[in-house]
Amino acid sequence: MPPPAASNARWSGLLLRLWPLVALIAIVVAIVLCASFAPVVLQRRTTQGLINLVAVVGLYVFVGNSGVLSFGNVAFMAVGAYVSALLTMKATAKSVFLPDLPAVIAHAEWPSLAGALAGGGVAALFALVVGWPLMRLSGVSASIATFAVLVVAYIVLGNWTAMTGGQSSLMGLPAYVDLWTALGWAVAAIVIAFAYQETRSALQLRASREDEAAAQASGVDVVVHRLIAFVISAFLSGIAGVLLAHFLGIVRVENFYLDLTFLIVAMLIIGGRGSLTGAVAGALVIAVLTELLRQIEIGVQIGKMTIGAPAGVGDVILALIMLLIILFRPNGLAGGRELTWPFRPR
Amino acid sequence: MSARLPLLEVSGLVVRYGAVTAVRGVDLQVGEGEIVSIVGPNGAGKTSLISAVAGIVPPAAGSIGFAGKSLAGIALEDVVARGLALVPEGRHIFASLTVMENLMLGATVRRDADGVRADIDRLFAMFPILGERRRQPAGQLSGGEQQQLAIARALLSRPRLLMLDEPSLGLAPTVVAQVYALLKSVREQGVTILLIEQNAERVFGLSDHVHVMSGGEFGLSGSAAEIKNDLRFDAAYFGVHMRQPASGQ
Amino acid sequence: MERLVQTLVDAVSVGSLYALTALGIGLIFGVMRLINFAHGELITFAAYTLLALFGLPVPLMLFGAIAVAVALALVTERAAFRPLRNADPTTLLISSFAVSFFLQKLLILVVGSRLKGLDFLPALGRQIELLGIRLQLLQIATILVSAILLVALTWFLRATRLGLQMRAAAEDFRMARVLGVRANRVIAMAFALSGILAAAVSCLIVVQTGVVQPRMGLQLVVIAFVGTVIGGLGSLTGAALGGFLVGATSILLQALLPPDLRVFREAFVFVAVALVLLFRPQGLIPARGLKERI
Repeated sequence: MPPPAASNARWSGLLLRLWPLVALIAIVVAIVLCASFAPVVLQRRTTQGLINLVAVVGLYVFVGNSGVLSFGNVAFMAVGAYVSALLTMKATAKSVFLPDLPAVIAHAEWPSLAGALAGGGVAALFALVVGWPLMRLSGVSASIATFAVLVVAYIVLGNWTAMTGGQSSLMGLPAYVDLWTALGWAVAAIVIAFAYQETRSALQLRASREDEAAAQASGVDVVVHRLIAFVISAFLSGIAGVLLAHFLGIVRVENFYLDLTFLIVAMLIIGGRGSLTGAVAGALVIAVLTELLRQIEIGVQIGKMTIGAPAGVGDVILALIMLLIILFRPNGLAGGRELTWPFRPR
Repeated sequence: MSARLPLLEVSGLVVRYGAVTAVRGVDLQVGEGEIVSIVGPNGAGKTSLISAVAGIVPPAAGSIGFAGKSLAGIALEDVVARGLALVPEGRHIFASLTVMENLMLGATVRRDADGVRADIDRLFAMFPILGERRRQPAGQLSGGEQQQLAIARALLSRPRLLMLDEPSLGLAPTVVAQVYALLKSVREQGVTILLIEQNAERVFGLSDHVHVMSGGEFGLSGSAAEIKNDLRFDAAYFGVHMRQPASGQ
Repeated sequence: MERLVQTLVDAVSVGSLYALTALGIGLIFGVMRLINFAHGELITFAAYTLLALFGLPVPLMLFGAIAVAVALALVTERAAFRPLRNADPTTLLISSFAVSFFLQKLLILVVGSRLKGLDFLPALGRQIELLGIRLQLLQIATILVSAILLVALTWFLRATRLGLQMRAAAEDFRMARVLGVRANRVIAMAFALSGILAAAVSCLIVVQTGVVQPRMGLQLVVIAFVGTVIGGLGSLTGAALGGFLVGATSILLQALLPPDLRVFREAFVFVAVALVLLFRPQGLIPARGLKERI
């Protein structure tokens, strides 16, 4: 007996809506499965790529939905990294690097997951506090203000020697982030971002992206919705920072400044800032690109000579690609669209 | 109708904004020395029409000829040098600049400093209030004074054709009357005028020819006297298409 | 008493530098609604030009720095910003960010990322006595140069034809074009002027720090950006004032804060900026006509 038509339609409607989420997760999982058979070096690079993916998705949650570019998400990454480091490092390690820590933190040895969630949580809280004045600013002013947030975080974290070690590296973090941990968080990030962008708040925020005056006239409180996006974005970025710290095993404030900001922003712009697919695409494309550029910089062996590009060429090429994308395809590779179900219903 | 070649000749003009067609194939002729008005409700396409003539939006189809030469593909900055001046809807005077500075911008395309100075003196005679307030920021002027400034500024480029988009918008009736009287004297100085208005009543006394525009097309056209008494006017204004001339009248 | 005057002079001197930087940024924002991250690279490239021309007579070095800054500004305008002239402000911001990083990484590729020393105009490092108070000649020079440039820019904008066109274009770009103002000319002029301002700032910074490094422009410009936002985007007076306040406050805080908080002074400045923006999101001196017409 054929199933009732209404229920059928409901299921296919749900599948259509969830398709981008399912497809993206499937692609990422497939890549990781392939990488798990590859040599360790490649696995580590894939893990790094997954961490970048979490960071880009975090940035996308705010930028894609509000239309406002944020330069401050790396600050949230830094906050997440330091918080998790402080909470999960062994007390003995902490006493070496950070002898002046308050006792509560000096003795804390939290499990990884708790530390990670704390990192994301504190980053989100930080975003709530700075976002409250910030989200009232108009688009470009808000972007510059997020840049100020990045600089403030850099200054504070880099000079608060008692809590963070200042300019020197914090070493001896539990390096628990392997390929599968990173995959788990990457999938979680994609799910969170997708779930958020289907909410009413996100829809209203996107409406304001097109025409702020019209949205406000219809009663949409742009500031509140922007703040919500900002906080969720900060949480995900904080998680990315946690992952980076526990992947490298060290935290250095210098790693969380302009170069990383440029990398994350470039990934989002190249992939396409208007859709989750774009964010993921950006992370994947840049991962492949950096691999290629690395090979070019290492060079090719011809007889006794090694012909390679000088170090630093990779950065120039990345910047050039970002520029070309913004000039000729400003919506990025994904063009602001999500992955669509390739088989159209009749 | 004059047998001379029209100063402005628009033929088959189509203007689109994305999927929306604002002007659907309009023919318009303005003879030298005439005052031609286009009236119609909001959204009729009047501003799109005049924007296309002024070079602000590119036409999707059709031709625009001025003084015998085509205006196709011409850059926005070059239009005023050809002899067309636009006073756009809302006047767009530079509020942070003085009255004098606003006027000087009207003379951007002119090279003869002496001629400009003489013209400014004449304009101050024609618009005395502007002369009085020449050093004040233009933002401090009243609506009617700003309208005078916008017209004076446009005249400073010595245009052959002056186009005005809803000059009476937001102005009190007495002020509008003053503006219209000014336009009459402008025409007496040899400037051709193309006028767009929502309020049709006012233009009948001023214009030689009137076109009624609605839904992107001209519904009714003729001399001011004809249109004023035409029973089909209301229908044409509100977009009912006329296929046959009304019997009787 | 002497300390007070010295601190004030220092504050005015540093404030002037940031005011000049913010002006360069504000000029371009005015005509194009573009926040030019690449302004920092103009400063950096001018400094490296001084390095490259070291040994030549000083006027030639200065001329070289100005020429490079202006040329770079015009090239970036033509190649990266003109095609985007009608794009939304966020796209323009992204573009300038990309240009800035492209230029910076290119520079690093060519000259390396380590800082280099440059002993430029060491005579300005002298101390002089003014009314019984010991001051650095460089500080006086900075204030003088800034004042001269400010006056010159104001004269240009108010008294010349092109300056008037620039002011009109900054308020209502399309209407200016309707009147015949040439868009390309006005924008190119804004970029050229910003290049001159960048070169001036660059020379003063190099004399002060004695060092050139690839990040020097960006660091300056980030703080100047915040200054323009607080001063009021789109208003030149606002930009200069905002830049000045941010720079001067930074120095005043350095003098007023207890020693272990001094490193955080920029953070304090930004927090103060955030508070101001909380109550006045449009800035201290907002520009007319900045809001989009409904």
